[in-house]
Amino acid sequence: MANKVNSIEELKLQQDEFYQAIFFPHADSGNVHNLGVVETEIMTQSQRIDIYRNSILGGMSGALTNIYPVCVKLLGETYFTRMVAGYLREYPSHSPDLGGYGHYLSEYIEGFEPAKEMEYLPDVAKLELLWHKAFNAAEDVFSNEGLRALSDLELLSSEEHVKVELCLRTSIQVLTSNYPVHRIWEVNQPDYVGEDVVDLAEGGAKLVVWRTDDFTMRVDVVSDDEFRLVESMIKGMTFDDIAQLPFQTELSGIVQNCINRGLIVGFRIDR
Amino acid sequence: MSEGGYKYHAIKGVGLGLRSSHYYEILETKPNVPWFELLSDNYMSEGGLPLHKVDKIREQYPVTLHGVGMSLASADPLNLDYLNRLKRLADRLEPAYVSDHVAWVSASGNYTHDLLPFPYTEFTQQHVSDRISQAQDILGRKLLVENPSSYLEFQATEMTEWEFISGLCKKTDCNLLVDINNIYVSAVNHGFDPYEYLEALPQDRVKEIHLAGYEKMEGYLFDTHGSPVHPPVWKLYQAALRRFGSVPTLLEWDTDIPDFTTLRVEASKAEKLLSGVA
Repeated sequence: MANKVNSIEELKLQQDEFYQAIFFPHADSGNVHNLGVVETEIMTQSQRIDIYRNSILGGMSGALTNIYPVCVKLLGETYFTRMVAGYLREYPSHSPDLGGYGHYLSEYIEGFEPAKEMEYLPDVAKLELLWHKAFNAAEDVFSNEGLRALSDLELLSSEEHVKVELCLRTSIQVLTSNYPVHRIWEVNQPDYVGEDVVDLAEGGAKLVVWRTDDFTMRVDVVSDDEFRLVESMIKGMTFDDIAQLPFQTELSGIVQNCINRGLIVGFRIDR
Repeated sequence: MSEGGYKYHAIKGVGLGLRSSHYYEILETKPNVPWFELLSDNYMSEGGLPLHKVDKIREQYPVTLHGVGMSLASADPLNLDYLNRLKRLADRLEPAYVSDHVAWVSASGNYTHDLLPFPYTEFTQQHVSDRISQAQDILGRKLLVENPSSYLEFQATEMTEWEFISGLCKKTDCNLLVDINNIYVSAVNHGFDPYEYLEALPQDRVKEIHLAGYEKMEGYLFDTHGSPVHPPVWKLYQAALRRFGSVPTLLEWDTDIPDFTTLRVEASKAEKLLSGVA
């Protein structure tokens, strides 16, 4: 019983019990009577804790609504809120950054029995999370010592040319899906106009999610070869190793396509 | 403090909370608003459009940084990663003030993202003081700490909230951000006199005031920041101005955010009261 708070141990015990009372009210550990809350004629201890529970769960659920608007639209806000109630308990937030919460929602949806019929939903959630990550990614900053613009390639000596390491945009994220999630995502955007029925028989896609220099967000469908190149570069593979991969077309052409798309943004000199 | 890149630093008058839905209007119309307050936790990402917009707005206006993530009253160790990121943001934006709340947010590393109450005791006062001092050392600046609104009290509490907060100033040399709405909400919820609260706060420590709206619920007031300021809060604000002088004041509106014009009309009411203070 945490009625006295005169040490760090007693403070920790009370705050742990408060957390339990918020997220696990039906467990023994979530018993509000452990907290030593003042009870008044107007409100019981439980009612006072309820105020905080509603506020906390509402705030965290709202954060997920902001990160996953297409999932919310597909499920309806009420159903989405009910679905994520379990997520809030099972996946605690470990950072003060509420915008960074919810990274495991696709895994949670995969195991969420009532949504099993919407078999594409976990991949829609993955796409939305990648969009969120790309939206908040660092800018590509060019300098003579670090990342350099592709236009500088012509300034290099032949000795420097062999040390060139091409670089992707920092914001780039990749996703492979067996479903046309990019179409599902597209037709559920607020400003979308056009045919809004997506045929799952369209099949899957390889996607690159990224942000342009003017902060426009892109969800691009790319070829198998382009995807393999981008994915390999994200993994940090060297170009010598990448060249050994089984591409269907010439690697130089694939690299050029990625440069033309804006996915490869610069280079570094390997020192 | 570095004063490298920006023309404007000090704040005065009635500022507004900066919300993303107003970025374009602010940058397009350059409204006559004396300063903006940014929710620091929303700008901790490594980059992206919000940070870019804020950089642009900062070129035109002084700003303050206001957060909820410091968890000053938590039993957890201070989150040094958070504080270092906050320092980087403060170094980048050169705010007039950096503030957070007298509350806890995390327990055993699990974040609730809400400002939670704790008993006001000699021990917790020293504990929070130690953490304010540590945070001030890391940030390289004085903090403003804000009184929270609350919906429960603990049997273990040994002193009033105003005694607790005044003690923090003595122990750490920190300054205060006095939220008038929070005082009123807690006063109604717990049955204390809000004017006694104001009278007890150290006059020279109050550097910023917050105003906001609450919602009347069944048996209590809830601090929603989602409506105009209520008449009893305006009255208490006038008493605060009489006691503390023409302290820079922020109009907060975080939920059901109205259009920018509505915000400015509400702020103009505070401006009228503030400009009448000698």
